Amino acid sequence: MQTSKQAYPFRWRVMDAVENTASAVWPSRFSRGLPYLMLLPAALLVLLLVIGMIQIAESSAHRLDRSTFLPSEDYTGANYSQIFSTGLYWTVLWRSLLGSVVVTALCLVFAFPYSYLMVRTSSPLLRKFLLIALFLPFFIGQVVRAYGWLIILGNQGVANGLLGLVGIEPVRLLYNYPAVLFGLVQYMLPFAVLMLAPALAAIPEELESAANSLGASWWRTFTHIVLPLAKPGLVGAGLVVLTLSLTDFAMPAILGGGSQDFIANAIYDQFFRTSDQGMGAALTLILVGIGSLAVGLVFTLFGAGTLAMGRDRK
Amino acid sequence: MVFGNSHAVKNASFELDEGRFLTILGPSGSGKTTLLRMIAGFQRPSAGEIVINGTPVSAAPPHKRSIGMVFQKLALFPHMTAAENVAFPLKMRRFDAQTIPERVQRYLDLVQLGPYADRRIHQLSGGQQQRVAIARALVFEPDLLLLDEPLAALDRKLREEMQLEFRRIQRELGVTTINVTHDQREALVVSDEVIVMDKGEIQQMAPPSATYRNPANAFVAGFIGVTNFISGTVVSSAGSEVAFRSGGETIAGTWRAKDAVPAAGSAVTGALRAEQIRLAASEAGLGNCQTTRTGTVRDAIFEGERTVYDIALASSSTRLRVFDHDPGAHKQFAIGETVAMGWNAQDVLTYPN
Repeated sequence: MQTSKQAYPFRWRVMDAVENTASAVWPSRFSRGLPYLMLLPAALLVLLLVIGMIQIAESSAHRLDRSTFLPSEDYTGANYSQIFSTGLYWTVLWRSLLGSVVVTALCLVFAFPYSYLMVRTSSPLLRKFLLIALFLPFFIGQVVRAYGWLIILGNQGVANGLLGLVGIEPVRLLYNYPAVLFGLVQYMLPFAVLMLAPALAAIPEELESAANSLGASWWRTFTHIVLPLAKPGLVGAGLVVLTLSLTDFAMPAILGGGSQDFIANAIYDQFFRTSDQGMGAALTLILVGIGSLAVGLVFTLFGAGTLAMGRDRK
Repeated sequence: MVFGNSHAVKNASFELDEGRFLTILGPSGSGKTTLLRMIAGFQRPSAGEIVINGTPVSAAPPHKRSIGMVFQKLALFPHMTAAENVAFPLKMRRFDAQTIPERVQRYLDLVQLGPYADRRIHQLSGGQQQRVAIARALVFEPDLLLLDEPLAALDRKLREEMQLEFRRIQRELGVTTINVTHDQREALVVSDEVIVMDKGEIQQMAPPSATYRNPANAFVAGFIGVTNFISGTVVSSAGSEVAFRSGGETIAGTWRAKDAVPAAGSAVTGALRAEQIRLAASEAGLGNCQTTRTGTVRDAIFEGERTVYDIALASSSTRLRVFDHDPGAHKQFAIGETVAMGWNAQDVLTYPN
């Protein structure tokens, strides 16, 4: 008699083996402790982070003695008062904050139609193409991509070459604020699409048909139905892009060429160029503070969006 | 409507008078939903024209048509309250803002949801959500109401309640309605007219009783009601009376198809409804029947108000389904028992095979 192989699939055998091993290693009478055991690695990571933050807070309270190159013994707020009294730091803070807000807004605007098309298209080929186009940039690191833009946007680059064809003198496309923002948008877009697509997929297509038959043109269907229902996705995507670009290092460093530093670049300079650990630590804490404030502001204004994976999310 | 090489709907021509309730009935894949979506404007017919109130609408997008639609999954807007859902079409169709609240309340009252106006959709029960969907589709007083199997997901009791509710509201407002369903009972209960569809074509359009009593062909006879099919070849015919041989016996039937009565030797199918067969312990108990047969009970299914018997004819291999109503009033037959069956030739609806 021929028996069906499907009746006891191979993956069940694999799972059986895993379960047997697990019960040998961790007998079932300990099973009440298992959930806590599984939480342990995450708890350890958070603990390390907290310890690190405390250490940074501690060192930010010591002023570097320029003559001995040792941090001062006593606690002082001198690092902070110097940061807030230096115009350059204000510029850097403002540049980072404004930049990340602009990048977030642009990313959401660009990611929306992309995600929508990817989720709604009836062509599997187009969906596959959009997915591949989305994941391809992840295989190329941020630094490599930034160097790629140097080649394309440089004075002798492809972009200026094309401009030259229509008789326009080479334009300085690099080492300015727009170049940094351009690089950041290009880098963040896939993150925004990834966060937005599931939220859009969760909106039943029938709702749009219904709105349509009830008298709404596509634009009013979009503003009255799709946009409000996409809010959790927009909040989730916005938070990810906002925090990632606020703390970005490579794009300002490479495409800004040192003239367009963000906070992360200033921190790097303090730690590794001037070796002023206290100053770097103070800047780090300020960055963490600004980031937390921004996230908190979004949470209170719009809710936690897709990031709140609660049981009773309505 | 053509999908690739296959027609989802073809030659689907029909007319419906104002104020009538039409149900399009058919199995899944029969093209009934495609037909409805074309009327609503979500799909363009590849040929032909749709005319509403004398105006051709085939080229108009859905939002330019005056059609209210209740969707299969209702498609209520989850970020709005019941009242906001009902107000939505009025806002989209630019009704005077002053009149909107009063009209929304009137339609919520019509579907008996007045006190629930400010509830969110997820705070309402399945039946209440149905009512919101109906109010939303009707509030702008469309020329035509379309129902795309909105009752399919409900449990039987609620479904039957909502069928009567649809009927009541439709009569009260007099709105022309087209309902799509695969539920034959619903089609008979709610409609003024029934269209039976199969393989993208209209098989019959008639009032419910005519659809049931005079099915146009064997498909319609089989799709509505529980029907026994006996196929055979014609032996003789006189007028509409047809005698055909099936499995070694001759059965008398009545020709019901539009085409002429076929010559001897043609293949035909007789359709005999389960409730048209009388059942008794012996032939004497049957009363007046033109045709009588004996058979053995193979299965007896008690369904409460009736018992369904599966009976094998003694003279051939044919199996018949027989309804025995009010089984409490008389003796029930056991599996293996021999019983007598009787029916009349006019109930054997005979069609070309």
